[in-house]
Amino acid sequence: MSRINDVGGMTGFAAIVQEPDEPPFHADWEAHVLALNAALIRRGIYNLDEFRDAQERLPVPEYLAASYYERWFAAIRVLLVEKGVVDEADLEPPRG
Amino acid sequence: MADRFAPGDRVRTRAADPDGHTRLPRYARGAVGTVVERAGAHPLADERARGGAPDPHAVHHVRFAAADLFGAGDHDVVVELWEDYLEEAP
Amino acid sequence: MSDHHPSSAISAGVRHVEALLESRGLLDPGEIDARIDAFLAGGSPANGARIVAHAWTDPGFAGRLLADANTAIRELGLSMAGGLQEQRLKVVANSAAEHHVVVCTLCSCYPIALLGPSPSWYKSEAYRSRVVRDPRGVLREFGWEPPADTAITVWDASAESRYLVVPRRPEGTDGLAEEELARLVTRNGLIGTAAV
Repeated sequence: MSRINDVGGMTGFAAIVQEPDEPPFHADWEAHVLALNAALIRRGIYNLDEFRDAQERLPVPEYLAASYYERWFAAIRVLLVEKGVVDEADLEPPRG
Repeated sequence: MADRFAPGDRVRTRAADPDGHTRLPRYARGAVGTVVERAGAHPLADERARGGAPDPHAVHHVRFAAADLFGAGDHDVVVELWEDYLEEAP
Repeated sequence: MSDHHPSSAISAGVRHVEALLESRGLLDPGEIDARIDAFLAGGSPANGARIVAHAWTDPGFAGRLLADANTAIRELGLSMAGGLQEQRLKVVANSAAEHHVVVCTLCSCYPIALLGPSPSWYKSEAYRSRVVRDPRGVLREFGWEPPADTAITVWDASAESRYLVVPRRPEGTDGLAEEELARLVTRNGLIGTAAV
């Protein structure tokens, strides 16, 4: 089924916005997510296509509401659970 | 194994809408284009996304006229496609 | 894609997952910081500018670059092997007859190991959706449009290659040294959304 990532040729998205002197990352955690993903792929926990697939399978409202690296982190969490690396409950930081 | 397609070949892309990850964009499905050149050989992304580790298959740059994809436009779009997505076009 | 969200909650979530994986032996202590440092020290648009300036001044190199970019950029001490694996680099050169512009409509493929992270606009649905259908309209939004008799080719990075555009050398730059020429080249020019 055509997925939400497959946008080539569509219309109706917002205008293209350029950011002058854009930094490589907009927050420290974004760099951490990028490095975490690379580490997990290097270790063979999952491959790059499984990672893309996990993003594409996110619920569409969640996908569209998320920023670029929020999607990445959501996909990492999905794969860690699906691959049996962690339990879903373990992913949430303790409160307090 | 010899390439199924060579530069200059006319090819038609698969029209099917697969139930999973694929690297054949929706806008380029069921369209006829021309092979530009080979872009190496790689395991098919569709299968790798299911955890498989298939043998590499040839990938080609395929040039389409925008008018054939969108019904308008005087530009071309070159899409990079696994041979699995392609069949010979008359 | 939404704008960048307040990050305290997600930041805590990321730290938590890192600590969890470290405790299970799936991450080494300090590994994430080392990877970030290596990433930031790796690719840069300046690498692309060097390639372009060298191609402008050395037609032999330009020919080798278009035929086999991975091999050619090693002449400049550059490589496509800095990421998860060596990726094929496909270089296309603009001319009076043809202007090239690059997109990844399915995700955000970009030669990160060579050029560093892509700009946010390159990753946006706005750019990815429209440039394949209406490249002239998109280029006008970037403040520049090729002449009407220049054909436009859009390259969709839909598989394993990564792309780099060699812009046309600006007129009136005959006297400039290669380093000065490199300073004229912009990141947008390397993607094809600027003239240079």
